[in-house]
Amino acid sequence: MTLLKGIKVLEIADGLVDFGGRMLAEMGADVVSISSEQDRAKERVLAWHHGKTRLSVDDPEAIIPLARQADIVLDGQRNGDRFGLSDVLGPDTKTIHVRVFAERGSSAPATDLTLMAQSSLMGVTGDPDRPPLRFPGEQAYALTGIQAATAALLGLYARRRIGHGQRVDVSARQSATLASYREAIMYEWTGRIGRRNGNLLVRGKSGVRQVWEARDGHVTWSMIDNPPMMRALVAVLAEQGVAGELSDVDWDNTLVADLPQETIERWQAIVGEFFKSQEKAQLGRWSLQKGWGLSVINTPAEVRHSEQLASRSLFVQVTDEATGEKASLPGPLFVSTIKPVPPARTLSAPQPASSFKRWSAS
Amino acid sequence: MGALDGLKIADFSWVGAGPRATKDLADNGAIVIKIESRKRPDLGRLSPPFAGGQKNLDGSAFFAQTNTSKKSVTINLSTPEGVEIAKKLIAWADVVVENFGPGYMERIGLGYETLKSIRPDIILASVSVAGRTGPMAGFRGYGNSAAAHSGHAALTGWAGRAPHMPPLAYGDVVAPMFATVAILAALEHHARTGEGQHLDISQTEPMVHVIADLYAHASMPDKAGNEDADYLLHGVFPCAGDDRWIAIAIDNHGQLTPLADVLELTVPPDEAALAEATAKFEAGDLAAKLRSLGIAAAPVLDGRDVAQSAELAAAGHFVALDHPVLGSARMPAPPYQLSETPWAMTAAPLLGEHNREVLGEIAGLSDAEIARLEAEGVLA
Repeated sequence: MTLLKGIKVLEIADGLVDFGGRMLAEMGADVVSISSEQDRAKERVLAWHHGKTRLSVDDPEAIIPLARQADIVLDGQRNGDRFGLSDVLGPDTKTIHVRVFAERGSSAPATDLTLMAQSSLMGVTGDPDRPPLRFPGEQAYALTGIQAATAALLGLYARRRIGHGQRVDVSARQSATLASYREAIMYEWTGRIGRRNGNLLVRGKSGVRQVWEARDGHVTWSMIDNPPMMRALVAVLAEQGVAGELSDVDWDNTLVADLPQETIERWQAIVGEFFKSQEKAQLGRWSLQKGWGLSVINTPAEVRHSEQLASRSLFVQVTDEATGEKASLPGPLFVSTIKPVPPARTLSAPQPASSFKRWSAS
Repeated sequence: MGALDGLKIADFSWVGAGPRATKDLADNGAIVIKIESRKRPDLGRLSPPFAGGQKNLDGSAFFAQTNTSKKSVTINLSTPEGVEIAKKLIAWADVVVENFGPGYMERIGLGYETLKSIRPDIILASVSVAGRTGPMAGFRGYGNSAAAHSGHAALTGWAGRAPHMPPLAYGDVVAPMFATVAILAALEHHARTGEGQHLDISQTEPMVHVIADLYAHASMPDKAGNEDADYLLHGVFPCAGDDRWIAIAIDNHGQLTPLADVLELTVPPDEAALAEATAKFEAGDLAAKLRSLGIAAAPVLDGRDVAQSAELAAAGHFVALDHPVLGSARMPAPPYQLSETPWAMTAAPLLGEHNREVLGEIAGLSDAEIARLEAEGVLA
């Protein structure tokens, strides 16, 4: 996409801003990324930095001129301001200087895991007999990156009106905590503290399953208070001759959340036997046609080959310029009526910062 | 003065996937008019917890935190007159946001082509589970559907156990963040070209994007609990007390010795010995000790810990807002501070609180017309 064509972004990468820079690059911004001080796994470099111009720091003095020319600086420095950016990017300049901190006012070391731990999300994720569980990948970093991109674009919008840039400070801890929309507010208003319930969805007095075995994998579905959905499911069970006592339930006058757990278990056993006898693709088709609210739990390989995602051109081939290796990665962020012009689908090899002249030439 | 002062949003969205995006815009100064109805209330208004513990369309704390800084009007979109009034708000707006089921906006006569005929440069943002095109365009699901479709559920959990669903509708968190970014980028494009556009944001695709590092592997990794191949040690260990835990991440050998010293273990410590040793400490104390030695560590916090966190309070993470039903209620704030155009939050609106103000000033309806339309169930 070219929504941000001509916008110059300098990114000081260190995990926290990387996905934000990736989003801006995908939308057409010219993103120049200063490589992280720390070694990162090659898959993470590939995923977060394709479509950017990557620079290595052969001369720290070369960074300040880039920052002065940039519309946006995504500043993810963890170990102090090694380039002195805050000294030169005041609000009287045109630059929107987005400084991202693990936690404002603290220089303590932090990683995606420790940020997720503090968010209250991990405490309620996982099985009761195991430790709290992380989300896959690096979700605190991703959430922070999106907030950094948001903050940068807010600054860009405001710049048209106020005529200059500004400084924006983003907290990674708050970004991760904000995603946990239920736990703190539930405690404040009810005194209840969430616990790990595995794949059980607890509502009211009872808990219902969320994950079910199909013949060839898993699906997610829950017996919730949605009469049309329940009638649609039971109709198919009845057609297949396996509805049992579910055929006799008056769903309009049944509140699943108030049912005794043993009744729920009996009803779930009927549904569970049926799901186990079917392929998950067939269950998915029924859900789409009849409105069951069931979703197939796709394996990553199935996601890569998803007909739906292929129809929307989500996955793109990205080439690592240094090795020639290719990977299939998510490309467009969304679909638009404006015809997209994708960024280069390459992970560029880092070049010395002192030799980068494109911005000064333009 | 907010970053988005002067921006006008007609917000038809409900529950989580749309309202979280328009909250971002409203908190930053945009005028966001939430079009809702008593005939088909925003399910967010029916979501607990409630003030006083009783279900109340104006008393949901869940709704209140998702809809700060907005104005509310009630328009029954199943009536032709209601749709005509909605069109007046669309003519006023720079941006329209919706997350109805597929085809609903078209069925009521408010599809993108109609919106363009009202305002040619309109930006329409639509959020849905699978997107508006493709074989699954008609899929009706929830935020957790995206976790299933994207690979999140399959990649969460412990080896040898079933896939794990997130404990919240994570798609309802990530997708609206993408919507906010998309809208802001579309506004930048509009400022330079005068062009509007229809932004079609799927919940599934953002959920794939945020695990792109896993998709970058030539052969996809299986779910691996809390492990991470980038780290020497990456886990969660028990601490003293009921369900108290500490997360520790070590990425270089130089950190193993101080960790072992604190826990009185030999190097390298095995995980079973670590768990036994950490269980003797209070989580916050141990985390502070390890952090002082340069080791990334943090206690695993629960909802009470977050609500009572002194660090989050000092950072201004919660803002106390006076609400007519909830009283003084703390609401989470944006996680950023803009030096020149700071955000400012106001309380979420009561249902239809701004009917007279908005429908009078923007739709040009007189008090008598508003009263008649209310009586006829059009403004309801």
